[in-house]
Amino acid sequence: MPQFFSNKRLVLLLVGMIFLVALISFSLRDRNHASLPEQLIKDVVGFGQTMFSKPTQYVTGIFNNVESLLNTYDENKRLKARLEDYATLQASVNDLQLENEELREIVDKEENIRDFNPIQSTVIARNPDQWEEKIIVDKGEIHGVAVNMAVMTSQGLIGKVILTTPYTSTVELLSTQNPNYRVSAVIADEQEVFGLIEGYDIERKELVLKRIDSEFEVKKGQKVTTSGLGGIFPKGILIGEVTEVTTDDYGLTQLAYVKPAASFSILDHVIISKRTINPVDGIDGGNTEADLTEGAGEES
Amino acid sequence: MIRYVIMIISVLLFYMEPIFGLFSPIELNGHFYVLVPRFLIIYLIFIAIYYDRKRAMLYGLIFGLLYDVFFIDIIGLYSFIFPLMCLVASFIVRFIHHHLLVATVLTLLLVAAVEIILFLFYTSIGIKSLTFANFYQFNLIPTMIANGVFVLMFGWLFKYILLNRFNQKLLLLQK
Repeated sequence: MPQFFSNKRLVLLLVGMIFLVALISFSLRDRNHASLPEQLIKDVVGFGQTMFSKPTQYVTGIFNNVESLLNTYDENKRLKARLEDYATLQASVNDLQLENEELREIVDKEENIRDFNPIQSTVIARNPDQWEEKIIVDKGEIHGVAVNMAVMTSQGLIGKVILTTPYTSTVELLSTQNPNYRVSAVIADEQEVFGLIEGYDIERKELVLKRIDSEFEVKKGQKVTTSGLGGIFPKGILIGEVTEVTTDDYGLTQLAYVKPAASFSILDHVIISKRTINPVDGIDGGNTEADLTEGAGEES
Repeated sequence: MIRYVIMIISVLLFYMEPIFGLFSPIELNGHFYVLVPRFLIIYLIFIAIYYDRKRAMLYGLIFGLLYDVFFIDIIGLYSFIFPLMCLVASFIVRFIHHHLLVATVLTLLLVAAVEIILFLFYTSIGIKSLTFANFYQFNLIPTMIANGVFVLMFGWLFKYILLNRFNQKLLLLQK
C-alpha cells in the first residue's frame, strides 16, 4: 500500500502515537481534577447540553404521565389498602420526631449528621459510551456542590460527586467498578451493624457490603442505609436491602450482597445532599481525615 | 445557510448522543443490554466517504476532543479514534463502489471497530473487567443493532445532503 504509508505520513503517524500516549497517561494520572481550560470546555458544552436535554425531558415526561394515567386504577386499589397502615405510621413518626426534638433541646445538642441541605439538580447527560458509570448534572460549584457529596433520588442513594466545574458536576454511580469507591454504611434494625459498601457485583447486579463484624447477625431483607461516619455523607439515606450473607475471602468478617433501592438506568432528577454538620474527608472521600469545612484549612 | 448545514448537523448529533445514552442500559429478562449511540462517528464516516476526507478528520479531532474533555476525562482517546476511523473509511472507499448499501455496511463495521478498540483500551487500563464473550453479547450486538437502525433511517439523508453540498462546491470551482 504505497499511498497509505508514504515516509512523511509514517513519521507523522509515529509522532502522533507518541503524543497520544503521553497525553493519555498525563490525563489518566489526575482525573479527579479539571484544569482551567477543561473546566471552560465542560461548562460551555454543559450549557449546550442543557439546552438539548430540557426539552427532551419534557417530552419523555409527557409519555411517563400518559403511562401512569393508564395505571391509575390498579395503583389506586393497591394504595388504598396501604393508606390505613400509613396513617398509623405517620402518627407514630410525628410523635417520635417531636420527642426527639424535645430530648435534643434538653441535652442542648442541635447539630445532627442526619441534616442536609438538598440541592435539586437535573441530569443533562449520561456518559454515552457507558464504559464508566457516570452522569453529568446541571449544578456546580456556584450552587455549592463539592467533590464527594452524596447523590440520591427519591428512591435512595445512587452515587457521589467526583468532579465539579462552576456550572456542572460529574457523578459516579454506585454501580461503578472503581476499587477506590467506598461508602460507609449501616444496617439499623434493633442494633446498628456497620460495614463498607465496596464494589459492585456485575453478574448479580448487586452492591457488596464488606467488613461486617461477624459477632452480629445480619439477616436477609434488612435495610442498609448510609451511616454518616464516612465523614461526608449525611446519615440515613437508603442504599438497599440485604439479599444474601456470607463470610468474606479470609473468613474473618461477614459480607453481604445488597440490592440497590434506586434504579440506575433511567435517571432524570437527582438530589445532591450537602451535609450541614462539618464534613471530614474520611472513608466516603479520599481518606485523608482532613477537615473539609470552608476556611478550616487556612489556620493550620 | 447551506454552507453551515454540515457543521450544524454534527453539532446536533453530538448533543443528541448523551440524551439517547440516558435510555440505556435496557433491561430484558434480567439482563442489562448496553446501547451506545454512535451517531456522530457514523456521520463523520459518511462525510469522509461522500464529501471531504480532510473536513471529516478535522471535525473528528474537534468533536473527539470535546467528547474526551466533557465525558471521559481522558484526553486523546476519542480525538485519536475519530480521525483514524475517517482516514480508514476514506482509504477503503477508494477501492469499492460508492453505493449507499456499501457505505452502510462499511460504517457499521467501523463502528464495531471503535467499540472493540475501546473495549481493549478500558480493559487494559483496568477500569472495567469484562470478558469478551460478555462484551460481545451485552454491549457489541445491541449497540450494532441500535446504530444499524439509525444508519438505515438517516443514511440516505446524509448521503443526499453531503452529495448536494459536494456538487455545489464543484460548480463553484468550475466558475
